[in-house]
Amino acid sequence: MRIKYILAALILGMIVFSSVQTVSAEKLVIDPVGRRVQVPDRPARIIALAANITEIIFALEQQHRLVGATRYSNYPAEAQRLPKVGTYVRLDLERIVALRPDLCIGVKDGNPIVIVRRIMELGIPFFAIDPLNIDDVVETVQAIGDLLDAGEKTTTLVNQMQNRIHRIRNLVSTSKSRPSVFLQIGVSPLVSVGSNTLAGELITLAGGRNVVEGNNRYPVFSKEQIIGLAPEVFIITTMAREKVFDNIRQEWQEWQQIPAVRHQRMYLVNSDLTDRASPRLLEGLECLTAAIHPELLDMKSLNCQ
Amino acid sequence: MPDGSYSSRTAGYEVLELSVTTFNTHVMIKRISIISTILSVVLLLTMILGVSVGSSDRDLLRVVNAIIHPELDPVLSAIILKIRFPRVLLAVIAGSVLSLGGVVFQSILRNPLAEPYILGISGGAAIGAIIGIIMGLSRFPGVGFTAFAGSILSLVLILYLSTGHSLFQKDRLLLSGVMVNAFCSAVIMFLVSITRDARLHNIIFWLMGDFSAINTLQASILLLVLIPCFIVIFMLSHTLNLLSMGKESAQSSGVRTRMIIVIQLVLSSFMVSLVVGYCGLLGFVGLVVPHLMRTRLGPDHRVLVPACILGGGAYMVFCDILARTLPEQGEMPTGVVTALIGAPLFIYFLKRSDS
Repeated sequence: MRIKYILAALILGMIVFSSVQTVSAEKLVIDPVGRRVQVPDRPARIIALAANITEIIFALEQQHRLVGATRYSNYPAEAQRLPKVGTYVRLDLERIVALRPDLCIGVKDGNPIVIVRRIMELGIPFFAIDPLNIDDVVETVQAIGDLLDAGEKTTTLVNQMQNRIHRIRNLVSTSKSRPSVFLQIGVSPLVSVGSNTLAGELITLAGGRNVVEGNNRYPVFSKEQIIGLAPEVFIITTMAREKVFDNIRQEWQEWQQIPAVRHQRMYLVNSDLTDRASPRLLEGLECLTAAIHPELLDMKSLNCQ
Repeated sequence: MPDGSYSSRTAGYEVLELSVTTFNTHVMIKRISIISTILSVVLLLTMILGVSVGSSDRDLLRVVNAIIHPELDPVLSAIILKIRFPRVLLAVIAGSVLSLGGVVFQSILRNPLAEPYILGISGGAAIGAIIGIIMGLSRFPGVGFTAFAGSILSLVLILYLSTGHSLFQKDRLLLSGVMVNAFCSAVIMFLVSITRDARLHNIIFWLMGDFSAINTLQASILLLVLIPCFIVIFMLSHTLNLLSMGKESAQSSGVRTRMIIVIQLVLSSFMVSLVVGYCGLLGFVGLVVPHLMRTRLGPDHRVLVPACILGGGAYMVFCDILARTLPEQGEMPTGVVTALIGAPLFIYFLKRSDS
């Protein structure tokens, strides 16, 4: 009799235990920012709160788990069809919640902290990334790959990225020259990048010397200052296309004192390749290398615009 | 003389006010209750409309259903209760406070165009709030306190600039306000450009008026702090009647003018700075609502104060609904809507007070 009870209790306990297991199939992970986050074992409804996160998830071939992305998530083309939840600096909390995500992946530097707090208050796990340099980008891809259990694909992608960085490092080390570079983001005003930005780091890796010094991440320049800095290479990263770029190139033609203008070393690079912390950053690195050292890499062989 | 042109307008009010204040209290209480009831219903209806409009779902029936049976659609009811409701509540609070601020400043400074935003009180509060955010203080009470300090500085500066030989010269008041405001915007842009603080990245959105970053608990605490302020100002509303007729006539009626003026101005600045700390700069609300109420309900502040609290809340919810629904994608800052409505009205009132 007693055995029957014990058996019944055991079975009951096992049922309860197993149901608890399936309900709360969660894991505790530590995100790249160092926060402990309780996430579902297999997150199935993910919202990417920045365009680079969308790109990473697509690169890891985990896009079937995405249920939402930010407005300017334009790559790959398929990402544009995802429901939009505002821009990454102005998130639409209501749309996020309405998509019933089981995980949000966001950026520490950019997503407004007040909205992030509210997302967490509403019980949605928030995994934060904060890639500040190219090595961080590789680590971030690894972290998201692990988070999503992307397995083989993560290893392949990470190795690929590391190989491409090595290749450029080796290429650049064969050249002794370090041309001075002015990198302008956007068409106007004349905003450049400090060395402590992704694009700033790319210039150095690509074998150039950023004419911008100091701690300001996005300093604004006047034409006069640029003439004084006399860069040998002038790179404009923008989403504007060839025609706009031609106008800008035309505008600079009267300043033949600038070596970059005199030697026709003005280049256009798609800004998404240089400011998004995604695997495409390597394309940006290759494009900058081709612009700064055309003898090492041919820009025409790359898709930089 | 520009001074005279304003007083000729207020002279019309004075006669009315005297006649209103001679009403017996019983009639008065009845009038206040009727108007408050009507406006409460209006406010409630706007709030219901406010919670039923959003970026994910705009069906009023489904919303009502989700409120009555939250278990049927837990996501929608969470959106309504935890996202839309605190947002609407904050809009109501902001609208009430800014309208009330408008009424108080207009009557004490005896200038129909005075308003917390135009006078630069909001701007001062915004500087204080930004400094508080940079210092890493919490929104409440930390940022609220620095915002209050900023608004008081603005207030003192404006009073100092605009008091000359006669108390509160009207054009000088507005001009000083505009200047303090311009200076405040410059300081704000200065702070934003020198800091590399990531928390300030979104400051432009917050500055233009934003209700989305608050939860129900925070909104309730804010309301609990503000209700006593509303009550004090309502209790003092008869003195606003006397003050709007001039300091002398108020004094002759036995009002301790200086004390009352200080209490009202400081209390209004306090409320405005709390609102600025949470939702940024929302201009001209304190101009539009009191004017609307005054033309409909007359100049008696015992009616105007509750009417502005309730009507201001409804007006702001309405502006926020527009801000959420007008853009095809995303939403625009509510401050854009209040300024688009308010600035032309300000010019209209200015023109009218000239002629």
